[in-house]
Amino acid sequence: MTSSFAKCVKSFSIAAALLLTPFAANAQTTSSSSGSDRWLHVRVVSSDNKGETVRVNVPLDLAEKVLPAINKDRLHNGKVTIDRSEMEGVDCRALLEAIKTTKDGEFVTVESHDSDVKVAKQGGYMLVHVTEKRWNEGKDGKESKDAKMTEKSRVEVKVPMKVVEALFSGGKNELDVLAALRALSAHGDTELVSVKDGDQTVRVWLDSKSSSD
Amino acid sequence: MMILAKLALGAAGTLAVATVYTFREGTIRVDVDEHRSGGSHVHLWVPAALVPAAMHFVPDDKLQEAAAHAHEALPIVKIVAKELGNYPNAEFVQVDSAEEHVKVSVRNGKVYVDVQDHGDEVHVAVPVSTIEDVIENISERDRAQ
Repeated sequence: MTSSFAKCVKSFSIAAALLLTPFAANAQTTSSSSGSDRWLHVRVVSSDNKGETVRVNVPLDLAEKVLPAINKDRLHNGKVTIDRSEMEGVDCRALLEAIKTTKDGEFVTVESHDSDVKVAKQGGYMLVHVTEKRWNEGKDGKESKDAKMTEKSRVEVKVPMKVVEALFSGGKNELDVLAALRALSAHGDTELVSVKDGDQTVRVWLDSKSSSD
Repeated sequence: MMILAKLALGAAGTLAVATVYTFREGTIRVDVDEHRSGGSHVHLWVPAALVPAAMHFVPDDKLQEAAAHAHEALPIVKIVAKELGNYPNAEFVQVDSAEEHVKVSVRNGKVYVDVQDHGDEVHVAVPVSTIEDVIENISERDRAQ
């Protein structure tokens, strides 16, 4: 009697095990599928009295799949249409071609009273640095000759040339954001954007970690 | 005696199988705690497998109305829900300040939304597969329109 009861329990155990196996197998496949993902991280740190920190982590694979599904305003099938009038006669494609074939160096340097802008190519990256200046006023509220300059904000953008090329690989009046994302995902770990503006710092970077810390 | 034992085992087995079937997709959990006098406290646990079944009882016009509202976002949400399965453990958004904390993450195949705002807390956990099922259901109604 005991042995037949034991058989029943054994059969029940096997049936339960068989029933649960697919879930265990499914859990195993899903957990191992995100090994070599590239993640785009955005971190905004505010040092004001609220002290807010925002962290956003987006897998590039996910962005690549979602982007073609967004069809709104100027964004269609992962491409953004540029209004010709906004380009003010600048032929970006010709400009890019010129930059591509030129050796490393600084292409644009604009130094003005309020801001400095530098565009350069270095080690396969396109660099854009913008510094906004703040001039300390004198006691009478006017700028004196000896007024001291401090940085109001500083923006540093570092984009791999391959990504820039991919961005302009679409039609004449469009930016191929999807192609740029694909080029970015093939790239190694890199810091893309760094902004320091008053109380806020913004950092955008790419790596293979799913968390930003 | 033996018959009784077999009956008990049969009943226990049926109960176990029914439980496993009901909870095969995990649970949806909603916790709301307002830590102030008169604040509400809601704690809800629902087997996720019941949601797609329950959706069949939602009147067509209500679902079609929802589908019409979500028409533009449906393909995007559908892709996101499908792809989330590839990221079983990830933190997507985190906002921290002195009195507010928001976190959107995926842990063990469940989407978690955790909000703490001036002492009030809301925690929602939904299996990714349930989101997929619901979106699929709404999409079907949208196509049927």
